[in-house]
Amino acid sequence: MRNQRSVKQEFLRKWITGLRRYSCDEKKNMSFLERKKAIKLSADIAMASTRDKTTRWSQALIANASSSGDTLTGSSKNNSSRSRKKMLMMRRRRPKVKSAKKEMSASCIAKRLVQKRTRKLKNLLPGGESIDEGCLVEETLDYIESLRAQIEVMRYLVTASQLIINPYP
Amino acid sequence: MLHCLNSNASGSEMTVLERQRATIKWQHNNNHHQGYSSSSSPSPSSSSSISLVQVQSSSPTCLAAGAWPKLDNNFLMGFTSSPSSGFPLPPPPPPTTSAASFDLNSAISRTSSCPLPSLAEGKETTTPNNKRKTDKFHNTKVVASDNDNKDKRVKVAAPNDSATVGKKGTQACGDNSNKDNSKVSEVQNQKPDYIHVRARRGQATDSHSLAERVRREKISERMKFLQDLVPGCNKITGKAGMLDEIINYVQSLQRQVEFLSMKLAAVNPRLDFNMDDLFTREVFPACAASFPAIEMSPNMANTASYLHFNSSQQIDAGINPQDISLRRTISAPVSAPETFLDSSCFTQTLPSSTWEGDFQNLYSVAFDQARAASFPSQLFTGLLEPSNLKMEMDM
Repeated sequence: MRNQRSVKQEFLRKWITGLRRYSCDEKKNMSFLERKKAIKLSADIAMASTRDKTTRWSQALIANASSSGDTLTGSSKNNSSRSRKKMLMMRRRRPKVKSAKKEMSASCIAKRLVQKRTRKLKNLLPGGESIDEGCLVEETLDYIESLRAQIEVMRYLVTASQLIINPYP
Repeated sequence: MLHCLNSNASGSEMTVLERQRATIKWQHNNNHHQGYSSSSSPSPSSSSSISLVQVQSSSPTCLAAGAWPKLDNNFLMGFTSSPSSGFPLPPPPPPTTSAASFDLNSAISRTSSCPLPSLAEGKETTTPNNKRKTDKFHNTKVVASDNDNKDKRVKVAAPNDSATVGKKGTQACGDNSNKDNSKVSEVQNQKPDYIHVRARRGQATDSHSLAERVRREKISERMKFLQDLVPGCNKITGKAGMLDEIINYVQSLQRQVEFLSMKLAAVNPRLDFNMDDLFTREVFPACAASFPAIEMSPNMANTASYLHFNSSQQIDAGINPQDISLRRTISAPVSAPETFLDSSCFTQTLPSSTWEGDFQNLYSVAFDQARAASFPSQLFTGLLEPSNLKMEMDM
């Protein structure tokens, strides 16, 4: 539990510094959607960097964010993320689908169901397309935990900001 | 915090032998203190426990049991990176932890060592763990070397009086390693590259199928962890159903993030988030994390009896997550005295730190559904005391 708390604190700190940088750079008023995108992106990157790039999803998140040319990410992240992305691409091995005949055995159907779902899960995870299934579950575990922490911190921030604006309802 | 991380980084470059020596020293100290219970007991069913274990084992400078609570906030973040960088896995935690939690610990430690080779390259020294190939024996090698280290450590510890500790350690780790396969034999010291798997009766002895079976069982083991994590997964037994639940859960979490970011964007017309207030808020949970027990005693001493009476009523209502209005009434006095005390000295702001810690604690109680029975009640008395003071001053 204590580790959770320190993770959340670090995430919050990084997120707020990222947002500060963003707001300092952008002098003009941003639209609602732009703001929302900035908030979400900075939150995601803060979460990913809190994991210290130890997991694939965090690396992929940072790589995607930096490749989209966002001003939030520093240049130091670009080099490592690009090399990591290349490595991820090289590792991608698409197994060839050999379904010539239609097999009606129960085990095959079950296998196909599971395969469909693992593919869906891989699409959900950032950078999940090129993970082998052994690490997939692990990555999912990690991702779920960090998402949870992120959501808690965000909720806290929302109510805190609401209280600032409206202290005595 | 930075220097701690740096020291961690330098400490993480210790060789395996140094780390083993450190673990032996740690075990000796543990024996002397006779305080397995005094050692920090990691929370059983969370992966944060693995980082606690590693902190205990691989920081030889902080061997005293009393130093551990301070370690948490500083060292844990640095050490969350260490599991997956391919270090030899730490010794098993003290035997007082239940077998299930220990299984979780080292199992997760094992599972978390599935990194890219690039991560391991720059950090490892010449150890058997360096022979890291990305084939299907990847994880098994880690397991093998893990067992290897444990064997070595047992042999060193045996001549000393900590033989019981060593035996228990091997037994526990043996149980854990046997969790995958009921007949996985212990790895020999001469061949750390292979794991010896004995085929069960009536099963194929092909090497491919054996490896396949090991892999499958590892996957199913991790699915069990996911079952604990994802709510509502306990009743479902099939792989496809569980994957369905997991997918739904991840999707819902991602949607929540989107929604909350939208809400934040709506609440703040600019992106500055009112730095002073938020900075104080973010600092205080850090204080509250380490100080709550200490602060509560003077507060408890000061509380009048009517406060206790009020607080007991408030606790039950406060823990209810749906009761937003009550949360507002609790938090509303929080913000006002906080601004009132903001410019005052640090000792006076400490009470507000407990509020913020309690505020966050409320959330963790509400959302994690983890309730320490007595602890929030004590925090609540601390919360209500200044609020009542404030009301008295108004009157």
